[in-house]
Formats: sequence, C-alpha cells, structure tokens
Amino acid sequence: MKWPWSAPSIRVRLTAWYAVVLTAMMIVYATATFVAVRHEFLEQLDDQLHDDFETAESLLTRTADGRIVWAGDRHQDPDSDEVRVYEVWSPAGEQIHRSGASVALPPVAVASTHASYRYETVAGNNERWRTLTAPITIGGHAVVLRVSRSEERLRNQLWEILVVLVFGSPLVVVLAGVGGYLLARRALLPIDHLASEAQRITAERLHERLTVPNQRDEIGRLTGVINDTFARLESSFDQLRRFTADASHELRTPLAVVRGIGEAAVTERRSPKEYEDAIGSMLEEVDRMTTLVETLLRLSHGDAGRIRVSREPLDLGQLARDVTSSLGILVEERNQKLMLDIADGVVVPVDRLVLREAVTNVLDNAIKYSPAGSTVAIRVGRIGDEALLAIADEGPGIPPEHRERIFHRFFRVDEARSRDGGGSGLGLAIAKWAVDIHGGAITVEQRPGGGSEFRILLPLTPAVATTHDQKTTQMRLGG
Amino acid sequence: MCRVRVLVVEDERKLAQVIASALQAEHYDVVVAPTGEDGFFRASAETFDLVVLDLMLPGRGGLEILQTLRKGHVQTPVLIVTARDGIEDRVLGLDLGADDYLVKPFALPELLARIRALLRRGRPSDILRLKAADLEVDLVARRALRNGRALDLTAREFELLEYLLRHQGHVVSREMLAHDVWKEPRRATPIDNVIDVQMARLRKKVDVEGHDRLIHTVRGVGFVLREGEP
Repeated sequence: MKWPWSAPSIRVRLTAWYAVVLTAMMIVYATATFVAVRHEFLEQLDDQLHDDFETAESLLTRTADGRIVWAGDRHQDPDSDEVRVYEVWSPAGEQIHRSGASVALPPVAVASTHASYRYETVAGNNERWRTLTAPITIGGHAVVLRVSRSEERLRNQLWEILVVLVFGSPLVVVLAGVGGYLLARRALLPIDHLASEAQRITAERLHERLTVPNQRDEIGRLTGVINDTFARLESSFDQLRRFTADASHELRTPLAVVRGIGEAAVTERRSPKEYEDAIGSMLEEVDRMTTLVETLLRLSHGDAGRIRVSREPLDLGQLARDVTSSLGILVEERNQKLMLDIADGVVVPVDRLVLREAVTNVLDNAIKYSPAGSTVAIRVGRIGDEALLAIADEGPGIPPEHRERIFHRFFRVDEARSRDGGGSGLGLAIAKWAVDIHGGAITVEQRPGGGSEFRILLPLTPAVATTHDQKTTQMRLGG
Repeated sequence: MCRVRVLVVEDERKLAQVIASALQAEHYDVVVAPTGEDGFFRASAETFDLVVLDLMLPGRGGLEILQTLRKGHVQTPVLIVTARDGIEDRVLGLDLGADDYLVKPFALPELLARIRALLRRGRPSDILRLKAADLEVDLVARRALRNGRALDLTAREFELLEYLLRHQGHVVSREMLAHDVWKEPRRATPIDNVIDVQMARLRKKVDVEGHDRLIHTVRGVGFVLREGEP
C-alpha cells in the first residue's frame, strides 16, 4: 500500500512547509508576547505598591498611648480592603499595627531590613502576595512598614492571555494552512494545465506547440522553453526520419544489385569469364556496402560519445601537407593544380587521426567536384584566436539553400549524381562531426570567382598565440 | 613436408565453410568446430599450428575459450575473428592471449595474409632481395630492376611493389594496402581511389611493353603479383 504522503505533491509540500514555518513563528511570537506582558504587569503592580507605601507612610500616625492609627479621613476603610495589607513592625520584631485584608502573611524579618525598599513575593492563604518593605519613622519612632498586594488578579489576567495564545495560535496556523493550500493550488494550476497539454504532444504530433498565456511571467518562460525543446525534438526526429530513409536506400541499393547480378548469373549457363565478372561485380557492391556500414557505425559511435579524443598539439600546416601528399596523386591524375598557402606554427590541440579524417574528406570532396585542369587551394592561417584551414575549389559551387544541409548525412547537392563518383554522401558529415568535437566550426562559402571554399575554424592553443612569424610557404604540386 | 593444421571455431556454417575452403586451397589441413564446446575440446586435446576463433559462439564464448586455453598452457597461435570492433574488445582479446585480431566482415586475402604472418612468426625474415620472373627488387639499395633495367619508382610506388612481392602469388585487398602501405587506420577514409591510381601508375612502370604482365587486378577483391596468367 502506498501512503498518500510518501510522495506528496508540491502543493501539499508547500503547505506543510508553510505551516511548519508559521507554527515556529507563532511559538516565538506568543512566548515573547507573554513574557513582555507579564513583565509589564509586574512592574505596574510594583508601582501601585510604591504608591500605597507612600500613602501609608504619610497617613499612619502614632497616638499618645503608642498605637499606630490612620490619620485624617481616609476615603476608604483600610480594613474593608480585599487586596491590600498594611503592617507596621517594631525594631524588636513585634507587629504593632495591621490593617487591610485578613490574610496570614509570614512575619517581617526586621533585622535584615535595611534603609532601601525591598520588593518580594510571599505566600499567604494559598495566594501569592507582592510586598514592599522599608524602615520609616512614625512620630519620631523608627519602625518597619510593609505594604502587600495580592497578585491574584494579575495572575488571572495573565492566565487568560496565555489561554488565548495557546488555543488561538493553532487555529491561526490551521486557517493559514488552508489558505496557503488554496493559494498554492491556484499558483500551480497553470503547471497542471501545462503538463496535461504537453502530454498530448506525442512523437506523432510533434509539430504542435503549447499555448503561451503570458510571455513575460514565469509560466510563460517555462512554456517557451518547453516549446523550444519540442522544436528541437521535432527537427531531430525529422533528421532521424530522413536519415533512416536515406540509410535504407543506400544499403538496399547495393543489396539489390548483388541479388540481381547473382540471380542473372545462375539463371543461364555462362562462361567462366562471365561468372568471374558477375562475382567481381558483386564483390564491388559488398565492398561499397562494407565501407558504408563502417562509416555509419563510426558516426553512430561518435553520436553516442563512444569515440575517445586524445588531444595533442598538432601543426595544422603539417597536417595539410600530409593530407595533400596522400591525395596529391588524384590531383595529378585529373590535371588539377594544388596551391598551398601555409602559415608556419599554427598549432592546435586536436586528435590527429580524427582531424586528419576531416581534412581528407573535405579535400577529397574538393578534388572530386572540381573540373580537370582547375586549381584546388589550401590555406592555413590564423583569424583572431582561431586557426583556419580553408580548402577552395573551382567547382560548380554550392547553392545557398544547400549550404547548411551539405553537412547532413547522405545529403548530395546533385541527387542524380548519387553513387558513381559521388561517394557515400557521408564524407562531409564525418568532417563536421570531427570538427565539432574539437569545439571548432566548419562552413562553406561561395567564392567570388565561382567555386566554393570550405573553412575549418579551430580554437588555438593559448601558448602559441604570441609568435606571429607568418612565413608563408608557397608550394605547387602537379600541373 | 608436414601439412599445417588449422582449427576454425565458427558457428556460422557458411562462413566456416568459406574459411575452410580458402584454407584448403592454400594446402592447410582444416578442422571446423561449430560450437564453443567442440572448439575448446579439440584445441586442448589435439595439436594445431593455428586456431581461428570466433568470439560470439553459442555455449562457450570465444574469450572464455581463449582464457582457459592459455591458462592450460596451450600456446597455439590464435587469430580472433569477430564483429566487435571496439578498441576495448581488441585490447581485451589481445590481453587474454590472442595473437591477432580481425574484424568482420573481412576480406579473405587479408585473413590468409594474417594467417601466413602468424605461421611465419619466430622465423627469420631478413630477406634482402625479392624476385619474380625477371623483376628484381633490392630492399637495401631500394632499387627495382626489370630485366636488368632500373625502374624509376617513387617512394610510395616502391613500397607498393615491395608489398606485392612479399605477398607474391597471393591476392592483396585494398583494405590491406590502405592499412599496411598507406597506414590509414580507417576504412571510412576515401583512399580507394588513391590506391587505384597509384596501382595504375606502378603497373605502367613495371609491366612495360615486351615483358610478361606481373601485376593483375582481381575484380572486386584486389591485386596480385604473379608470374604467368592469373
């Protein structure tokens, strides 16, 4: 069984926290209030006691026979007083006068009574009495006067306040909790709404978007972010769909060829030479397919982040020379020229093999699409704090609408020029991937005189950015 | 001369058959074990010069067999043949005592070349001169002669010719050339065109008019240097 509070909603949690904080605040508030009120009450009592004392001091007189009596016409008979007691004690410790409420109070310790006023609380008749004791002189005789007041009324008042605080606070907390819950529910309602709306958008309905009620508030921003995510999801779904379609086409075609050749070969009796041709042709298709699968696996490993990149300082110019010397023979074969314009000491922290693959693919692409007798130019240099490797050709160029998609998998500008000489359609995708994982960028631009220029930009190592010894090497290969 | 005995542990019947017949064509004695259990039993009970071992086998996995064999001090050279091409898989296989590693799908010429290399292992191979018909190559002076006349070869062309001569009579695939001569670690690299062009040039220089053709193209497979007609 699952307890309802084992995984409470934000609403409930919010309310619970609210209640806890409020309870703590109430406890502190009630305690402080009570302490302050009590202190105030006691102070008032002491003030009253002091007034009583002064009145008694001025009104008590000594008769000729030595008795202590109230002088003048007191507005009230002290004996009928319920809350006050007046006592006069002789220095010997005898009580020589007493008036006011009839209550048994402990005797005054006359010996320890000094010149100053002494306030204390004593017990009498199961009640607590506040007393003020001090020595005075009545008719020239030194005596000790004690005035007492019952604390009972004060205690009753304090008790009532306490009752109000103790029973009132929880009520406040409960009411505030209910209010908090309602507020939280109201505040979170748009999120509930958002969730149910987002749930509606499945893989098949990715083109739909959430409605944005108010763009400027928090919910509006959240909705915007979710919509952006949906947009990206949609585009990657589209890309995936296109990729799957292309991949199956690219893989099925050689399969169909192999099958066709095989079937054609066995349906009739043929010469060994014809069989040899058929088998050779099938093997060529198998080879094509193998390379394709290899490339696809490599890309998918790259996507899954399973290819480890070990960065080491690499001279980009050296890499360019290396790649051109390995592909140079193709340039010669097509009577093309290769121009190298290489700045020395452009060192980037990269994985040599991975970047070499990128440059090889781009250069191979340039050679393939350039007409015979044209020039392919390679430039290595610095732009700001980035290294540049540019490969320019004199081919037909790439229409602007294709410039972004040229790096997509299986994309070919000329659909008809698919397989023969067109390569797998993955070379530039691999190049982009290889440049991307190094934090660089690859772009393609139209050259003013026709043809296109592929530009690979890579972040430079900070250590080598200072020496600007731009010794430019010009080199011509082939021709 | 004692015939070389090779054990092929491979569960895919067709592939086992293909490998077996290719090896038989090279005059090896071939025993095929279709399961891991059978392979392990034969490898530990009989004597072989070489074991070709698939990694994904029903019953007992290839790596487990290899490990158990090496623990039991069976030192027969083992060539692993597998579809798993991760670096980790290769390292693990070689660490467990495999002598070489080939990823499916492989070209038969490459399998044969690797088997030859493994069987050759431990024997001196300091050949200084290679010869085929009237073609002579001096590896020390890095000079090639056809019928006594020096050939003007580039460094790459010389390497290519040397490689073909070393595998004389055996077909070499483009993969082997890409890997061994051009040192390209990946198949995905667009190097096949380069190989074809380079081969055409070498052929123009080596197979000059008035001499027997030595370098032949085997369509869909690769190239072979061989005396007489292919």
